[in-house]
Amino acid sequence: MKIKIAKFFSILFVCVFFVSLLFGGTVKAETNLDIYMFWGDGCPHCEKESKFLNELLPSYPNISLNKYEVYYNKTNSTLMKKVSSELGSNVSGIPYLIIGDKEFVGFSEGITDKEIKDRIEECVVSTCPDSISSIINDNNKSDEKDDEEQKNQTIETKESKIISLPFIGKINTIDFSLPLLTIIMGVLDGFNPCAMWVLLFLISLLLGFNDRRKMWILGSIFIFASAFCYFLFMAAWLNLIIFIGYVSWIRIIIGLVALIGGAYSFKKGIENKDGGCEVTNKQERKVVFEKLREIASRKNLLIAIGGIILLAFAVNLVELVCSAGLPAIYTQVLTLSHLENWQYYGYILLYILFFMIDDLIIFIIAMITLKMTGISTKYSRYSSLIGGGLMLIIGLLLIFKPEILMFG
Amino acid sequence: MKVLKFGAVWCPGCLVMKPRWAEIEKENPWLQTEYFDIDSSKEMIDQYQIQTLPTFIFLDKENKEFLRLVGEIKKEKLVDTINENKNR
Repeated sequence: MKIKIAKFFSILFVCVFFVSLLFGGTVKAETNLDIYMFWGDGCPHCEKESKFLNELLPSYPNISLNKYEVYYNKTNSTLMKKVSSELGSNVSGIPYLIIGDKEFVGFSEGITDKEIKDRIEECVVSTCPDSISSIINDNNKSDEKDDEEQKNQTIETKESKIISLPFIGKINTIDFSLPLLTIIMGVLDGFNPCAMWVLLFLISLLLGFNDRRKMWILGSIFIFASAFCYFLFMAAWLNLIIFIGYVSWIRIIIGLVALIGGAYSFKKGIENKDGGCEVTNKQERKVVFEKLREIASRKNLLIAIGGIILLAFAVNLVELVCSAGLPAIYTQVLTLSHLENWQYYGYILLYILFFMIDDLIIFIIAMITLKMTGISTKYSRYSSLIGGGLMLIIGLLLIFKPEILMFG
Repeated sequence: MKVLKFGAVWCPGCLVMKPRWAEIEKENPWLQTEYFDIDSSKEMIDQYQIQTLPTFIFLDKENKEFLRLVGEIKKEKLVDTINENKNR
């Protein structure tokens, strides 16, 4: 009897083995799988992840995507905390996706998409755990009610951004706010004396030459190389923030930096009533002056151009710590606005254009009149006061009301 | 009376003051002035404890400081100050 049973199981095993060989790799579990995505309205990475999932999931009919908006919906935000706490991670960044208890925080094209696809394949072939479904189900009843409230809130927020102006009519402030903010911040940053001293020194050196062509070429190249360096810095910072994703603690840290920087700038503006320049004995300044003298006096124009470009980069990197505040805060605001890539870079270029305007004015006047001119320091005092105030406001908004800074 | 002017090529306020002083010096050839660049006159900077630029120090006949003006000063104010203290 035992032999018969053993034979039966052996045959069964062999049959199952061959059947699995025939259909192996294409057999998919018929069980349904719920996956959960926590996202924010206006978060660019969430948008990218949603788009990716919308394209991917039709190939997996047994998988249901459950989405939870967390910026405007407090219930969903609390739910996200509960879920991440249940999984032992206490995640605060979004997009936050859970597939069979495996978490994906943030979204980076070419990396996260592959990982998500692999996990889905894994869960399709074998059964994945879903230990958060019970938490989700508990919240489902209250969710329906909250969704309605959330829709109403979103409509209200978007409508409130449309204002009526006499003679002009209705305008959407969203279309004007970001360019205006870009121009204001760019101009204020332009009065930041961090990198201007090099330009002034360079102009004073150039005015000593009798070669007007050389003066124009070297001065313009220095300004454009500085602008390019600034562009690279802002683009790098933008990409870093985009790569990290919408992580609330980074937003709060930048908000705190804005508050501290704003308070410092405001204090400086109030204290410096004379509008004078602070006397510092910077060693780097002397080194830069010597280098500039050496480069500008080169007879070979090409070598002088190469030297001036390198120096512009070096100076801007050295002064980065001094001048990084406003651009970093601006870039953070930009990422909140959910824009296309070309728009991000377009806004950065607009910022830099206005940032360079005071430098260009000083340079052009000096080259035409052949006299050294400076922009009155009383403007730099106003720029400290206005810039400080603006940084304080943006800092507070970044920490407490980031949705106001979402212009997109 | 003598005026010591402290400035730097990289300081915008000093550049604003330069043509103002040039005009005053042209209009008052008797006025003695001396310019010190912050990056090449360390001794004078230390001696007069210059903290902010531009700074203008007014000295009497005995080379004693009797007035110090800091920042961008209007030409009219400078002219008035000079005329008031002409005989010091």
